[in-house]
Amino acid sequence: MSEPLLLVEDLVKEFPGRRSALDWLRRRPARPVRALDGVSFELRAGEVIALVGESGCGKTTTGNLLMGLLPPTAGRVVLDGQEVGRLSGRGLQRLRRSAQMVFQDPYESLNPRMTVGDIVAEPLQVHRVGGSRAGVRERVDAALTSAGMTPVSAYLRRYPFELSGGQRQRVVIAAALALEPSLLIADEPVSMLDVSIRAEILNLLSALARERGIGVVMITHDLSTVAAYADRIAVMYLGRIVEHGPTRQVLAAPRHPYAQALLSVVPVPDPAARRRPVILGGETPDPSRIPSGCRFHPRCPLAFDRCPIVDPPLYTVGPDHHAACLLVENA
Amino acid sequence: MSGRGGYLLRKIGWALVTVLVVVTFNFLLFRVLPGDPAKSGMRDPRLNPAAVETLRARFGLDKEVFLDLDGGGNPLDTQFTAYLGALSRGDLGTSYAFRDQEVADLIGQALVNTLWLVLPSQLLAIVLGSALGLFAAWRRGRPLDLAALTFSLFMWSLPTFFLGIILLVAGANWFGLPTSGRITIGGDFASFWDLAWDVGRHLLLPTLTLTLVLLGEYMLIMRSSVLDVFGEDYILTARAKGLSTYRIIRHHALRNAMLPMVTLIALNLGFTVSGAIQVEAVYSWPGLGALTVSAVADRDYPVLQGAFLLIAVAVVVANLVAELIYGWLDPRVSEG
Amino acid sequence: MSALIEVTAPAAVEPSRWAWRRFLRHRMGLVGAAMLLVALVVAVFAPLLAPYDPYESARVTILDIYQKPSTAHLLGTDDGGKDVLSSLLYGARVSLIVGFAAAAIALVIGGLVGIVAGYRGGWVGSLLMRITDFFLVIPDLALQIVLVAIIGPSLGTIILVIGALGWTTTARLVRSQTLTVRERKYVMRARAIGAGDAHILRRHILPAVLPLMLANMVLVISLAILSESTLAFLGLGDPTVISWGQMLNFAFGRGAVSAGAWWALLPPGFAIVWVVLGTTLLGTALEDAMNPRLKRHHLEAPGGDVAHDRPVLDAPPPALEVAAPILRVRDLAVEFDSPEGPLRAVDGISFDLRRGETLGLVGESGCGKTTTVLGILRLLPPGGRIVTGQVWFDGEDLLSLDGRALRSFRWTRLSLVFQGAMNALNPVRTIGDQIAEAIRLHAPETSKAEAHRRAGELLERVGIGRRRAREYPHTYSGGMRQRAMIALALACEPDVIIADEPTTALDVMIQAQILELLGGIARDFGMGIILVTHDLGVVAQACDRVVVMYGGGLAEENEAGPLFATPQHPYTQQLLLSFPDVAHPDRPLRGIPGSPPRLDAMPRGCRFAPRCPYVFDRCTVERPPEYPTAAGGRATCFLLDPNEEARR
Repeated sequence: MSEPLLLVEDLVKEFPGRRSALDWLRRRPARPVRALDGVSFELRAGEVIALVGESGCGKTTTGNLLMGLLPPTAGRVVLDGQEVGRLSGRGLQRLRRSAQMVFQDPYESLNPRMTVGDIVAEPLQVHRVGGSRAGVRERVDAALTSAGMTPVSAYLRRYPFELSGGQRQRVVIAAALALEPSLLIADEPVSMLDVSIRAEILNLLSALARERGIGVVMITHDLSTVAAYADRIAVMYLGRIVEHGPTRQVLAAPRHPYAQALLSVVPVPDPAARRRPVILGGETPDPSRIPSGCRFHPRCPLAFDRCPIVDPPLYTVGPDHHAACLLVENA
Repeated sequence: MSGRGGYLLRKIGWALVTVLVVVTFNFLLFRVLPGDPAKSGMRDPRLNPAAVETLRARFGLDKEVFLDLDGGGNPLDTQFTAYLGALSRGDLGTSYAFRDQEVADLIGQALVNTLWLVLPSQLLAIVLGSALGLFAAWRRGRPLDLAALTFSLFMWSLPTFFLGIILLVAGANWFGLPTSGRITIGGDFASFWDLAWDVGRHLLLPTLTLTLVLLGEYMLIMRSSVLDVFGEDYILTARAKGLSTYRIIRHHALRNAMLPMVTLIALNLGFTVSGAIQVEAVYSWPGLGALTVSAVADRDYPVLQGAFLLIAVAVVVANLVAELIYGWLDPRVSEG
Repeated sequence: MSALIEVTAPAAVEPSRWAWRRFLRHRMGLVGAAMLLVALVVAVFAPLLAPYDPYESARVTILDIYQKPSTAHLLGTDDGGKDVLSSLLYGARVSLIVGFAAAAIALVIGGLVGIVAGYRGGWVGSLLMRITDFFLVIPDLALQIVLVAIIGPSLGTIILVIGALGWTTTARLVRSQTLTVRERKYVMRARAIGAGDAHILRRHILPAVLPLMLANMVLVISLAILSESTLAFLGLGDPTVISWGQMLNFAFGRGAVSAGAWWALLPPGFAIVWVVLGTTLLGTALEDAMNPRLKRHHLEAPGGDVAHDRPVLDAPPPALEVAAPILRVRDLAVEFDSPEGPLRAVDGISFDLRRGETLGLVGESGCGKTTTVLGILRLLPPGGRIVTGQVWFDGEDLLSLDGRALRSFRWTRLSLVFQGAMNALNPVRTIGDQIAEAIRLHAPETSKAEAHRRAGELLERVGIGRRRAREYPHTYSGGMRQRAMIALALACEPDVIIADEPTTALDVMIQAQILELLGGIARDFGMGIILVTHDLGVVAQACDRVVVMYGGGLAEENEAGPLFATPQHPYTQQLLLSFPDVAHPDRPLRGIPGSPPRLDAMPRGCRFAPRCPYVFDRCTVERPPEYPTAAGGRATCFLLDPNEEARR
């Protein structure tokens, strides 16, 4: 087995809580917000992993830590054998070249004052790669071609407002590809796009993984969009991965009650297959007040007496398939 | 409620800090810059060194400015603490121009006169400006809106003192109104009502000028604030619920539109003060503004210092009041 | 800003390139620029234009003072016997020099403070903003007077003082613009790429901030000119130069009023007005062009939403079915005004809704689904107009209702759940209050207490405790706001609820909760529901019948079962193929090439033709009518034309 491209070990991220003036007068300490509470996973080159969860589960914070945009409170991220959090200066610069990000909103993530050509060339200029004008131009052409923006000459001088949503997202991807990264982090890459366009962008991302060996971390709240594209799925809840395994197994037989519920509420485009969804009551709790024991127990339909006491680790439930639930402790 | 309490505390705390900074600033302004009366007095070549020392001691200039750390005595026995101490006793010094008059008494009387001018104008301008702004926004792009816009643009471009002069000439020539001072000098008033009538006639032109100047500004603010609110989705909800336009404006738009209005009125208090200074100068209205201008002409620094302090503190307090009204109007302040 | 106005607004345009064009269209701005230009020419060529040199001291006799305008002195003479016109022309120099120089100082300080405060944030930013707030609170003129009095009035001092105190508005403006740009995704993306602060400032922040700063500078100039003239009028002008404020000071202070010498007072005053008005007009126009504001609002001309020449049918079409539809929409078309002429957002859509039925209205962005329901509700944003069609509700022609009748119809028969309940609830009134308001509006005999009790019950029904009725919307989470919106929609027990994207932007679990709630309500109250959504999965799970829209028109309509099992319109087919199905993860997804048509570039023939895999010549020239489908629905595709059978 080859060395993983990306190694995430026990990642913890705390944000300082906000304290009101009255709290300060009463000498009440600020409560830290634990956005990530021990997240670990690996990613091999050419593999697509999906981090799935609802808002507040920590998936976006994970993405920012992977990019080195935020320092971790504890734990480490190793990319290409380099520890991300420890890097500074030139090392961080090199890391920024090997990890690139695709953001959610293609309408917002392009500078309206820059042409497509300038946008794709920007990362090359920042890192002073490509050398001469012709060299930069060549790389921009290659990146736009890889992102499916052909013929390139028809787009180079266009401004973002002249492009459709799908084309804009392709430009974002082209800008990410310009530096020939080994890791692509896609944060909700299609949620702002029209349904008929989404498949093309997802197909493009998975082709990049398969054909170029780029590792892709896809961050999303929507299990259905990643079902056909991810090799593995990690379901997150309140800062933890609660279930983690090969896509097919997780979708066919989820073991964690939260993963089961999450899967059951995904609407299926088939009126004949209406299911009885497991609808959880309430909403995800505030990450500054994580429940004791299993963090899911207050909303869990299957909770029993030990759940509020024991914080379950990830138990192995199948080949490469893990779930953090006391019900599978002895599976 | 804790959020609202926090808001209250924050705002009051900030106002206190601002007042303290204003006091320090005021102290330094008149100490450090050339023009300190004691210093200029001491440069007089006719004074012998001993007299200079006596003068220095009398004005407290032999002490350190802020902190006396190597003097051996009380480190807080300094010019600044002496100033603060005098302030806390309400002692602002003695005027030069009006011999033996306490500055505090002078500016106290002037403040009352200024309030007589500013409060009615401010109130009138806010009420009329809000009404006009609301109407202009509602009838956006129609003749009334355009007329209101043109009016406020013109008002904005017209220097206040110039408007004052025009109204003064017109009022004096066509209506025989008094154009100077607060009261007819040497007038003999049989009753309180005669006196009130006389003061009222004196107040008319200055109030009219200040109201007109403020009106355009408030109208513009209200108009844009109402336009923002009218574009919000909850207005659409209100329409969908079947509310009439009148009810929507009264129950859903007005309060929301007043929120930014309150903030902006608070921020524009400096504008009001500047208008009042000019109006007082034109009509010789014996308020803080006129006092300031005459103090400049007379080089009466204690009065200038006291008047500026009072103006600044009054604006900070008025600002605080506006912030508190905002907190009372908007349930969301606990978030801020 | 309102999502619903923007939904229907024409496509966004690239700002900086259009700003110039917008400015040129702004007549006010051009007038202002011309006025400023005249002042500049006068200032530069004052020595050539002025008949006398006002700086030359001449012997003056009492007869020279306050001379009436004459051929020798076109604007008469002043208190010193000098020619007013000459002083006036020279005065332009001082006003403009002070204005431009002070504005430049203010711009540099304000720009620096604003950019640092906005870009750095943190404690440096807070401190800078505190300082800015402090200077904003201290009354400008009072401080200017004190400073100029202490330092001594010279032109340099006046410029410095006005500049050093005039930067606060610029700082606030620049800070807020910097903050906005800094939080933009494209700046975050640049940071993720590894760009440093210098690069981000140069490439992203400055290009966005500088144009605004220039527009603001023009306004700061007008303020500085006003300040200078005020100081001069109060006797704090530079005694060695002639300025308009000083001319007024001398004239006013030296008996021009009692002498009736209007020529000494009016010209300098109106000269100030001229320059300040010119700069203000120019500055306002520039700001408008950089930052165009929304031109429309929800209370503009309510009632003008139905075209006067709309053909009206006399009676509702006869209801043949046993379960008569409660809502019938026939051939509804909606147009929006645009600078390029009317744009047709909805083009002849027809469908029925039966009592107790849930109808899905599906389509991608810009397909006209939201406009359709806003048209039915007579809530089109201003500029929108129903040009043809009928909407019958329980035998009543909705489009002929007006004023009072329309208002009493609303919410009692037909209510609405908006997308993004965040903005659809009034932030300064309690939830309970907003529900009780609707109850009491339509049943005025209800007591206040009774209405509030009912509001509590409704909140309980949608899964929110009645205690929370006294809370304001901002204390609710997104899901709870949507529940509150549903409770509000139920307030008058209407026959039909229209829910426009009720679950968009909510988490999947909350989405499931809301859909379950809507389903339960349809069952319990027997209400008809129109569910507007882009999510085929939601439709399949929740709807009895489906209308698929594309490019403002109907693509296909059918019962949910056959529509998903045997879609007839190529668009429906392609859409289903591109829609992920978590139950069949192995099925490859195929996107539809191209993108949905824009309103201003609608294909002449079939709207789907440019993206259709089965397109043939007829599709590009002729618009297909509705054909019945074998599955029992209807669809607009020539492949269903019996004459085109050979092509199937």
